[in-house]
Amino acid sequence: MKRTTSLTWAVISLLFLFSEVTWARIKLVALPEREATVIRLDNPNATLLEEERVLTLQQGINKVDFSWKEVQIQPDSIRLTVLEQQNAITAITMLNVSYPPNEQALVWEIASSIAQQVRVRISYLLNKIDRLVTYKAMVRKDESSLDLTSFLVLRNFSGENLPSTRFQLDYGEAFESAILNGETKRMQFFRAEKLPIKKHFTFDASQMPWDHKMVRNNVGIPVHYKLENTTDNGLGKHALWNGKARLYGEDGHGSTIFLGEDTAKFTPVGQSLKLTIGKSRDVVVTQRKTSEKRLNERRNHKKTQAVLYDTEETMRVEVENFKEQVAFITLREPMPQEWEIKETSHPYKKENNQEIIFDIQVPEKEKMVVIYTYYQRNVRP
Amino acid sequence: MFKQMLILIFAILLSPTLYAKIDLVTLPVRDQVQLTIYNPADLTLVREQRTLTLKQGTNRLEFGWADTLIDPTSVHLEAPQHAGQVNLLDVSYPPNVKGSAIWTIESQIAGKIPVEITFFVSGISWRAFYMATLSTDEKTMRLQNYVRVNNHSGEDYANAQTRVVVGKIQLLDDIAQLARRSSPYGVPSSMMPQMAASFASVEIEDLGARSVLAESIPMAFKRKKIIKEGLSEYFLYTIEGTESILDGWGKRLISLDVSDIPVRTLYRYDEYRYGTQAQHLLFFKNDEVHHLGDTPLPNGKVTIYRQLVDNQHLSYVGDMYTKYIPVNQEVELNLGQARHIKVEPVLMDYKTGNYVFDFDGNIAGFIRVQNWQVKLENSRDISVDMEIFQHFEHPYWEIKNSEDMLGSYEKVDVDTVKYRLTLPPYTKEHLFTYTITLFEGEHRQKH
Repeated sequence: MKRTTSLTWAVISLLFLFSEVTWARIKLVALPEREATVIRLDNPNATLLEEERVLTLQQGINKVDFSWKEVQIQPDSIRLTVLEQQNAITAITMLNVSYPPNEQALVWEIASSIAQQVRVRISYLLNKIDRLVTYKAMVRKDESSLDLTSFLVLRNFSGENLPSTRFQLDYGEAFESAILNGETKRMQFFRAEKLPIKKHFTFDASQMPWDHKMVRNNVGIPVHYKLENTTDNGLGKHALWNGKARLYGEDGHGSTIFLGEDTAKFTPVGQSLKLTIGKSRDVVVTQRKTSEKRLNERRNHKKTQAVLYDTEETMRVEVENFKEQVAFITLREPMPQEWEIKETSHPYKKENNQEIIFDIQVPEKEKMVVIYTYYQRNVRP
Repeated sequence: MFKQMLILIFAILLSPTLYAKIDLVTLPVRDQVQLTIYNPADLTLVREQRTLTLKQGTNRLEFGWADTLIDPTSVHLEAPQHAGQVNLLDVSYPPNVKGSAIWTIESQIAGKIPVEITFFVSGISWRAFYMATLSTDEKTMRLQNYVRVNNHSGEDYANAQTRVVVGKIQLLDDIAQLARRSSPYGVPSSMMPQMAASFASVEIEDLGARSVLAESIPMAFKRKKIIKEGLSEYFLYTIEGTESILDGWGKRLISLDVSDIPVRTLYRYDEYRYGTQAQHLLFFKNDEVHHLGDTPLPNGKVTIYRQLVDNQHLSYVGDMYTKYIPVNQEVELNLGQARHIKVEPVLMDYKTGNYVFDFDGNIAGFIRVQNWQVKLENSRDISVDMEIFQHFEHPYWEIKNSEDMLGSYEKVDVDTVKYRLTLPPYTKEHLFTYTITLFEGEHRQKH
């Protein structure tokens, strides 16, 4: 038999007389079985375990010994709650808690005015037990929708075996499962089919090479799918937890390919989730500054130096779509500190003071050119 | 069981220089002991009452200790009931003997004399910690404060009156270090003797008779009270009755248990303090309105839970350390990053202007105008109060807030402003804007 660690539990009901000094720790193995164990996985930072036991208390002072071995319990977090009962003449007082030396244990001193059985709930924070969430997405061949499966991965390295335990997340019903110490268990959490997605390409001019001919390898344009966490889309019941997402694509021959993986961010209801799968080489962007002129120059009185001037600059961004589908492309264009747009070939959106965005749609096998001219104001040499 | 400390009394015959230990006369047990435990200093004041059998004239008495860390320079003996009649003439620390002192006591009376012995020990500590349980709607809270005493002193203390001190004491030396010295007051160096450090023991006022322990209802069925009282810069928590804290053991007692404390929840954004994540904060005041305010709250860890609707179940919210909280002060508990609330200030526009030039035609002053847009998001199912701090790192400025702004604006200090507003549940995006003009060069003077 594998020797595993376990929580031991003993109730010592000593009717105390006067000698408080008799502190010998007698471990009565009158183990009331624990019941209704619930593991709460609703907080990513810690896991709360709740369990119920029936204590048989004598009239007088009872010592209840709670000890654990090689189990990762945070001792200060241990709480004991007497559960409210139907015929409630409980009259129980928690007197104090003692911590014996060199032992993972504590002793509750509970006074009871009558001999009785009470149901208590003990809760504590258990370390080294948690859950991860992972996703598997199957993207349809036309890339217009995907089927999303989410898995819950329980990892139990707490030192405690958990036979038939209820697990509670921060939403939905609790579910029952069993997990041994050292065990990792993956289970399906939810599945949603035909979730509409939108595929996007993003060219970030502040990060990526402007001219593919000047670099040795292809310039890959990052590709992501965008998914809304809303009820219209078959989601929207709860926030999507952060976790690793693997995306597969139907290949049209009854099989699939692996498209890539990304970390899904925590996505509350109503927000959108972006999953980047990789880089495309079928969309090529070439950007050039085509002109720069100095305007409104102001010199100092000796005319030896310019103190302030403006410039007028023109950018030309050529986007080629070599794919057989229309491509939705976002161009992120960096801007100087102080500027004004003179003219643009396409509508733009200001993301912040130093970035503008062009969202364009390039038909299959076509080319599109975005040109914009801006003034840079109050430049100092 | 008193295994380490013992008191030997022996009669001295002729030569006072003869320290041979002869005739162990009595080994009086402690009649009573009181512990006053400090935190965070590793210091406990022990006051013992013992009954010595003295003869008239000069008595010699050995006070010995081993395996306990006693500061020998702190050991004192008094006979309060026979003041003036029993005097401690001298204390000598014999060479090459550790853990022992010989007292010369002059007594005008013979017989059993109750005495009080006080000294400092290291190794007994206490700390406070809290459990806070929020109601389901986060409007009220139950606060439980525990005191945990740990005894690693090497000595068992049975039936000790136990008191803990809330406050920060000044100590020049570690008690543990003083206790380990080979000679109690150190050895003179060839330089100036540094005696100051040796007389470092902090004088602690004798508190005199105490009027606690009034009730004599059967203690066994009642939770022990912790009596709290202020004393100079300290707060003294006295545990009702006595406690037995054996070596190696710890004990936790409840010192405060208050329900239905009204609390206020707030989400705060302040890049200086927390980075770009909004924080979930909880406020209450240590006063009567909040069913508190009797005493300051000691510093310690707070573990926060939330009560769930069904059947007394709990959910863990987070934990944090709280500072010492004086009476009437507002308490701010930070529950950590708020994942469901987002705040994102974005600089949307920037312009310079109003340039002025000096006699040489160089720039002597200008203004910078920034338009900021603050994007807010609340994905919780309840409406939330928010507080947004913005810093300008610039003392010369003028702000213009948009007229349709929800909530309020306040200048916090020379370069900080604060916005307060309430966001309805499930607010996907709420924007507010402001324009700030920063004055440079000559414009600073005019401003």
